[in-house]
Amino acid sequence: MPTIDPVELGIIWDRFVSIADEMVSSLTRTSFSTMVRVSADLSCMLFDSRARLVSQGRTSVPSFTGTGPATLRRMLEIIPPDSLRPGDVIATNDAWIGTGHVFDINVVRPVFRNGTIVGYTLSVTHLADIGGIGYSADARDVFEEGFTIPVCKLIEEGEPNALIIEIIRQNVRSESVVLGDIFSNVTCTEVGGRLLLELMEDYGLDSIDPLAAAIHAQTRDAMLEKLARVPAGTYTNAIQVEGYDEPLHFAVSAVISADGAVFDFSGTSPAVGRGINVPLCYTSAFTYYAVKCLTVPEIPNNSGALDAIDINAPEGCVLNAVKPSPTGGRHILGHFVAPLIFGALADVFPNDVQADSGMLSQLNFHGRLGDGRFISSVYFSSGGYGAFKDRDGQSALPGPSNMILAPAEIWEAENAISVLKKALLVDSGGPGRSRGGLGQEVLLRNDTGSPLNMAAFASRTDFPARGYASAPDGSLRTVEVDGRLVHPKKRIEIPPGSIVRIVEAGGAGYGDPVEREVEKVVEDVRNGLVSRAGALKDYGVDVEAQRRIRQTAI
Amino acid sequence: MAGVELGVDIGGTFTDLVLVDSEVGVVATHKILTTPDDPARAVLAGSREVLASAGVAPTDLARVVHATTLITNAVIERRGTATGMLVSAGFKDTLDIGREHRYDLTNLKIDFPAPLVPRALRREVDERIMADGRVETPLDEDAVLAAAADLVESQGIEALAVCFLNSYLHPAHELRVGKLIATAFPKLFVTLSHQVAPFSSEFERWTTATIYAYTQPLVDAYLDRLEGAFHDLGFTGSFSIMTSAGGIATVNVARRFPVRLIESGPAAGVLAATYLSRDLGGNGDVLAFDMGGTTAKGAFVAGGRPLKSSQIEVARCHAHQKGSGLIARVPALDLIEIGAGGGAIAELDQRRLIRVGPASAGAVPGPACYGQGGDKPTLTDANLILGYLGTDSFLGGTMALDTAAAEKALGEHIAEPLAIALDRAALGVHDTVNEDVARALRVHAAEVGLDYRRFPLVATGGSAPIHAVNIARKMRAPKVVFPLGAGIMSAFGLLVSPLGHEILRSHLRRLADLDTAAVRATFAPLEKEARAFLSDAGATAESVRAQYFLGMRYFGQGHEVTAEIPDPFAGTEIMPAIEAAFDDRYREVHGISFVEQPIECVDWKVELSAAVRGAARVRFATSGAPDGNALKGQRAACFPPGQWHPKCAVYDRYRLVPDMEIEGPAFIEERESTVVLGPGDGAVVDAFGNLVVDIRFE
Repeated sequence: MPTIDPVELGIIWDRFVSIADEMVSSLTRTSFSTMVRVSADLSCMLFDSRARLVSQGRTSVPSFTGTGPATLRRMLEIIPPDSLRPGDVIATNDAWIGTGHVFDINVVRPVFRNGTIVGYTLSVTHLADIGGIGYSADARDVFEEGFTIPVCKLIEEGEPNALIIEIIRQNVRSESVVLGDIFSNVTCTEVGGRLLLELMEDYGLDSIDPLAAAIHAQTRDAMLEKLARVPAGTYTNAIQVEGYDEPLHFAVSAVISADGAVFDFSGTSPAVGRGINVPLCYTSAFTYYAVKCLTVPEIPNNSGALDAIDINAPEGCVLNAVKPSPTGGRHILGHFVAPLIFGALADVFPNDVQADSGMLSQLNFHGRLGDGRFISSVYFSSGGYGAFKDRDGQSALPGPSNMILAPAEIWEAENAISVLKKALLVDSGGPGRSRGGLGQEVLLRNDTGSPLNMAAFASRTDFPARGYASAPDGSLRTVEVDGRLVHPKKRIEIPPGSIVRIVEAGGAGYGDPVEREVEKVVEDVRNGLVSRAGALKDYGVDVEAQRRIRQTAI
Repeated sequence: MAGVELGVDIGGTFTDLVLVDSEVGVVATHKILTTPDDPARAVLAGSREVLASAGVAPTDLARVVHATTLITNAVIERRGTATGMLVSAGFKDTLDIGREHRYDLTNLKIDFPAPLVPRALRREVDERIMADGRVETPLDEDAVLAAAADLVESQGIEALAVCFLNSYLHPAHELRVGKLIATAFPKLFVTLSHQVAPFSSEFERWTTATIYAYTQPLVDAYLDRLEGAFHDLGFTGSFSIMTSAGGIATVNVARRFPVRLIESGPAAGVLAATYLSRDLGGNGDVLAFDMGGTTAKGAFVAGGRPLKSSQIEVARCHAHQKGSGLIARVPALDLIEIGAGGGAIAELDQRRLIRVGPASAGAVPGPACYGQGGDKPTLTDANLILGYLGTDSFLGGTMALDTAAAEKALGEHIAEPLAIALDRAALGVHDTVNEDVARALRVHAAEVGLDYRRFPLVATGGSAPIHAVNIARKMRAPKVVFPLGAGIMSAFGLLVSPLGHEILRSHLRRLADLDTAAVRATFAPLEKEARAFLSDAGATAESVRAQYFLGMRYFGQGHEVTAEIPDPFAGTEIMPAIEAAFDDRYREVHGISFVEQPIECVDWKVELSAAVRGAARVRFATSGAPDGNALKGQRAACFPPGQWHPKCAVYDRYRLVPDMEIEGPAFIEERESTVVLGPGDGAVVDAFGNLVVDIRFE
């Protein structure tokens, strides 16, 4: 490999990242669904000619970290590069080839220059509908969840494949939104391709592969260097998480050596009969994401970050579920991979790990409005953010996943579901020397005038966010309808006028709460984040006297 | 109206003043250190001095226009008024909860700006109007008065923001609270969210309302003081202020809408560039590019009109990162800000590659070459090593630069770790910034649907002349203009800006449900309201020019494109023109459009402006002695890809005469900046004293 000038490498690398960013910008501005345009449930990527990831848009959900290379590789096994022509676009929503459930569409465009493929652009978005029982966690197999579009040429030399489009049109509930979004993806892959060609012209490049290889090497080396500071050895963790009916066990053993890190999820419970199973691609995404946050958070994502990491999970376990296991709500369990890994590595990355977060919940409402329009809209809300050794966690902030809240004024106008209350919950932040973020209470009322179907995706209803370094746990999440607790993962009918109440889980703290500075406790009380009783009970602080009167929590 | 006019731009470091006589042009300019504790002090001292130097009596001054960073600074430094907030029951925490979004994907430790109104100063009031206008919960008037009394008496608030859900559509409850408070607490400054930001999205509207409430008393006192002091000087002319949207406003409007002044200085700079674009013989397309010590700013001007935006993010608390600031939804010029200026620190990032900025060495300690104790390499250090700055001509020769210190810093932090030559490292730092700036401007142009390649750059600020030609080349821009007097461009821009006011309202309507009469009925009250502001400012009805804009989208989308539509009050049928305007604009931005999709109108905007007068004749009188004997020396410099040129000519900008041609490699030095011409570049001095470089592509 010829030596690459580090100055030029830095400059072109940044250009690669901005190409992916521009794809994201095009995608969000043309998209029709709230999930994409408001909540940014999407990702855009650029690949070299060997299908290695060069850059990924910086606006992306963490669950799409590193799934792209596997997706593209599998798609090219089915439609090999030599059968691709300029103007072709290939696509699939296969849960195991793509990102773990059938709701995500993966759209790929080969980029041709002088008759040769010089790279690929890929975009993924969450579709508003894909047939089946609708977006939920309680399907019994993947077929109930929707239909699968096999890897196919969605567009052939510039001409849309009429049959595929008609199949989609006839099988989804909101065809204009779904097809509109699919074509937003097509457009953004075209934008990315054009920008790649412009860059190659600017720098007189016939191939980006040597630059990509340098980017991968540089990234892998930086990650290995960070991992090398950790004593070689095996680090383990095991947690319990809520399943559909009963608790599940997650286990990980991380072997760190000079060659990188190997994560083995042996000991994890088997897959279950409802749609919360996690395909390996999704487990891998959160593994990559967790390691990247701990080691090289500033380096833009690319294949090099994946090269130092190996992942094993027994086939058929809930973190490597196989077809036809249902996977619609794979994120409810999949998100726990990040805290599972943080927990395993907490002692060797004490300054970087985050105590458990309250995590986010989703409520998918579907049904019809008074004017007959079909809606399938997801209301996101977040629990408290976990604390770090050196800082408190923010209230109502998602982690490890990410989202963007839909404003009440927009949500109500679009869905006729009124937001009656959205308020932080005093004392819900996990106590600690650094305090966890507060959870919140949200009240939603069905004002559509007709019954709505609500599918909940909620965790931390039995197992709270775990505190680190002697901090106690955070508070739990609940979902209620008209004052009655409901199953946190089932579909439920919400009659007109009924009120859904979500209590979001608190984030956990870091360090012993009795070591928290008295001034910070008093400040929290003044801001209404901690009650006087809470200050005494959790922190041993008498707020009136402004001093600590007890060295242990009650 | 003829006579002498004064433009005053209060910047972070300097207050710039420019005195223009409509007959002869610029008659005097002045720079004085800003007095942050009381900005009016420097304004008055500077005004007295600049008037005296030109022999003009304050009584002969027809007009004073000024721009200020007062509001931005008050927000950044948290020097505003103790502000309380009344909110709809159940939503006290909206400012803390925000949008529940982490703006940085993998850096888990991020910061958000603390709300301007602390949680303890927010009170919930029972009231609720739903999106369709139905009153779900009537306003509890007793609770309003009790909450206000408590905030005033126990918390000592002087300003109050009233923020209710859906008020942008149905303001009845906010208006009622406004009346109640005005009667019960006449001294309290009250901001009603729907009046200052009539848009949906409670978090952004309420944040905007808190910025208003927080800064209004401060602005009010400041304007009082300034107006009074000018009055005491004997000034009897008109006194006005620049807005972020690039129009000037009267003091009364400024008092009511203080946050509209938030980016007034940079807006004035863009207006000056807009004005200069007329001299370029093009169609009024120009990219105003300013780069100083800490940031670079760019603004596109298309067809003689700067692009607008409807929000600004202020006081970013996390490395200039989008999402880490407070959102102010105010009309503004569309300025792109990049955290890269002369003081930007160069370092190796986690990739072990060069990154420049957004961290800045600031004024203290400053770049290593300033010799003030800075030991980190900055962009200025790299430019010095490359020979782009004269060691003894910086700031007009008042500040000697230490090349050895720059070399040491860059060597230790960049060249040695990367095992590359020092000049290669310096070129790398220089070019990384060029690429960063070009990339940010390109991305922004794509977002607003502009073909950036046709826009000549107008380069101002201390650092821009060093970088502008290479940035222009990366953007495939045809030419770069270095205006004479770039150091006081903003102050000058104040005097060539029109009177302006714009009003934007959200009305969600399907285009298919509208007809010409309905469109007129929606625009009419907006236009009436905006006209009243301009007539208060002294504009005659005939001089007012109106433009109409509609923010539209396909039904179901969340992002609008804003299209200018023809005058809806002219002609008979406006609907086809609206649809065509949307189709064209959508295609410009996104490359495609969908004929069969229904269109939804979201934002309705009327923009009025009135040219102040025949300012088109104003031009800079050249200071110094333009005699053509401009060549003052030679120095060695290094240009891409790494070639040293031992004898590059150095010119004195102030001695250039029109039609002179200069071939690169060469430097043209001014007091505050140096124009860098590389090998193969050529510049010519135009009739106005501007230096014009036509970009030559290989």
